[in-house]
Amino acid sequence: MWLKTWRALRQRGVLGINQRNCELILRYNQRHLYPLVDNKLLTKQRAIAAGMRVPALYGVIETERDIAGLGSLLSGHRDFVIKPAQGAGGDGIIVIADRFGEYWRTASGKLMTLDDLEFHISGILSGIYSLGGHRDVALIEYRVQPDSVFSAISYEGVPDIRIIVLCGYPVMAMLRLPTRQSQGKANLHQGAIGVGVDLATGVTLGGTWHNLRIERHPDTANPVSGVQLPYWEEFLQLASQSYELTGLGYLGVDLVLDRDAGPMILELNARPGLNIQIANDAGLMARCRGAEQEMERCRLAGETSTAENRILFCQQHFYGASGH
Amino acid sequence: MRTVRLHARLLALALCLVGLGSVAWQVWVQEIPLVESDVEPVWVVDARVEFEPRESLPIKVQMYVPPGANEFVTLSESFVGNNFGVGMSRSDGNRLATWSTRRAQGHQVLYYRLVLARRFVMEDDSDAAPHFRRREPLEGAERVAAESLLDPIRERSADIQTFISETIHTVNDDNNDSVRLLLAGDRSVEQRARVVDLLLAAAHIPAEQVHTVRLAHGLVQQPELWVRGFNGTDWLYFNPRTAEQGLPADRIVWWTGSEPMVRADGAKRLQVQVSVSRTEMSTIQMAREVQPVQERTLWGLSLYDLPVESQQTFRVIMMIPLGVLLILFLRNLVGMETLGTFTPVLVALAFRETDLLWGIFLFTVVTALGLSLRSYLDHLRLQLLPRLSVVLTFVVVAMTLISVFGHRMGFERGLSVALFPMVILTMVIERLSIVWEERGGPHSMKVAFGTMVAATLAHLLMIRAELVYFFFTFPGVLLVLVSVMLLMGHYRGYRLTELRRFRALVKDQRGG
Repeated sequence: MWLKTWRALRQRGVLGINQRNCELILRYNQRHLYPLVDNKLLTKQRAIAAGMRVPALYGVIETERDIAGLGSLLSGHRDFVIKPAQGAGGDGIIVIADRFGEYWRTASGKLMTLDDLEFHISGILSGIYSLGGHRDVALIEYRVQPDSVFSAISYEGVPDIRIIVLCGYPVMAMLRLPTRQSQGKANLHQGAIGVGVDLATGVTLGGTWHNLRIERHPDTANPVSGVQLPYWEEFLQLASQSYELTGLGYLGVDLVLDRDAGPMILELNARPGLNIQIANDAGLMARCRGAEQEMERCRLAGETSTAENRILFCQQHFYGASGH
Repeated sequence: MRTVRLHARLLALALCLVGLGSVAWQVWVQEIPLVESDVEPVWVVDARVEFEPRESLPIKVQMYVPPGANEFVTLSESFVGNNFGVGMSRSDGNRLATWSTRRAQGHQVLYYRLVLARRFVMEDDSDAAPHFRRREPLEGAERVAAESLLDPIRERSADIQTFISETIHTVNDDNNDSVRLLLAGDRSVEQRARVVDLLLAAAHIPAEQVHTVRLAHGLVQQPELWVRGFNGTDWLYFNPRTAEQGLPADRIVWWTGSEPMVRADGAKRLQVQVSVSRTEMSTIQMAREVQPVQERTLWGLSLYDLPVESQQTFRVIMMIPLGVLLILFLRNLVGMETLGTFTPVLVALAFRETDLLWGIFLFTVVTALGLSLRSYLDHLRLQLLPRLSVVLTFVVVAMTLISVFGHRMGFERGLSVALFPMVILTMVIERLSIVWEERGGPHSMKVAFGTMVAATLAHLLMIRAELVYFFFTFPGVLLVLVSVMLLMGHYRGYRLTELRRFRALVKDQRGG
């Protein structure tokens, strides 16, 4: 029974954690580059310098003393996002959607006072949410306005698009939809839905929720498949360029679609999760092997691959649910 | 990548070969047994004292216990008596155990248990010089009878040894009128020994009665009476019945003098029973228990050369890599989630001191208390470090209370919360609270459960006596473990939990 499952998974090129760590992360990602993606402040600064679109930064709070200035920093904004610079898995992020006098309302409808926000930021600074519990800084940035294309299949929050990039080749993509359970967050382990995306067209495929395959959004009951993502080429462009931005060969790029500003980079992840395979019903290892063969072919032919070439290759080879 | 993997494999192979080679060398060249099979006999001597208490009187039971023989070494000695206090004292070269209690109800049983093993190395401490006891001077007919006996004995003997043996022969001669007079109609061994004692005292030879027990399996016995006399350098032992000289090798001295073995105040119907049984203990285990370890060139350079306490420590330390390897398997092959790699091993080490079930109970209760306090403190809006400090202090308080209450209720287990488990416990709670902060309650429960299961398995593995013996005796096996770990470093297969996680991907394919 187990052996059969094992063989079937191997045959489909499904990537396991051990294999991901051994053959992709250890091989393509050099440790000294990790801070570039683990620290969202650094990522944002780099991306701005490279001319890539990111949510605007309203302010950075680095010390307990800075917290006193929070009130004046926020005075000009009705909505914003507070996040730890080195948070893991979307923890510690507060999305403020509106303001009523003394109170702020989060995206999930909870009312918070300035005191509450200050306490939360103090927690961020002391390193509750950071990898390894080190001291951290808090970012306050533009709150992305979700495009209306997602309104039918999203419950609160902002859906984002995760694209796995191997050395600049976007090998697999997934749309992540917040649910009531994930409280507006787009992280799968917090209960968000992952929906596979056809790389060639940007049309959504089936979804995954808690390791199960699903067809409809559990909160809105609308089918999650068959939705055309706008600006798909631009998403792939941003994802592919992230490789040059960081130098990390195996990367999970999280992108969002803003109603006004269009696609932008939200954050990067050097150890992206594996559930994207369930969403796409395809094996990641199989696609990575394909990309590696193409890289080898380019190397032997002496071709320099541009982002356009790489995207074209992936769109031609990794389409639909079963293609590779 | 390929060359790196080859490198690792070659290194693993080399380490494995070196490790196995060292084990093979120890087994075939040094001839060290693979299992702990060499055993030595060990005698368990039990004395059982039964009596009925008299009405509402305090009870005091005094029993002689063996003073310790030269040829045998005491491995352990224990006194069992419900509600009785036990005290030890020495008098005239004897050891006296005293059980006492203010009151007792109903039939009472006291146990004394002595575990002896034959000594490897003879120590040269001869018995203490005899002490001369004042004798009641003999009067009248007895004095005449004694003197009439001593003269012929003196004539027929050459030295103290022959004098004593001749005395015993004479006292056992029932046809002798003087002997019959001294025995006063009582022909028991005790009476004869008393007469021998009396005659030797009259001849100014230091002598005393000796009560001995024979070390033989399954024997229920009464202590046998012997007589010993001092010849100026050594004690000479004689059988008061046959005049046979020299204490057999399987007899130990229990006490000397003419007092009974047990005396009891406030008790009636006193019964004493001594039984001996023989068990076996491995040589190596015994070498650990017996302080002056015999010189063993056989073992060469090994952990057995260490002092006994250090050996005890290394028996634990040598098992740690095995525990770590198990956790490695559980995490990378099975996919179990634990708090880091080393924490479950540390918890397993703490279980050694607390005992498994009690340890699990303690860890669950204290961790649950600590985490619920943590969630309460959430409302107080404390910063991370002050909050953790409060939680850790609370953990210490909770463990102290458990120990104190446990002790009050006569539940000695509570005291086993030694320093080490306490440190580990606080560490686990700290790390769990951090996981709780980062990943939420359900995930931290999952991690806590995984840690507990992994620690239990590691504990059960690390206390297996055969494995402990093997790892301690053949340290080269650690290199084999390292080679396995090296190979695990390049393991790329699925984890068992992933087979479940990705099962959706397989089902679909079957359907299509």
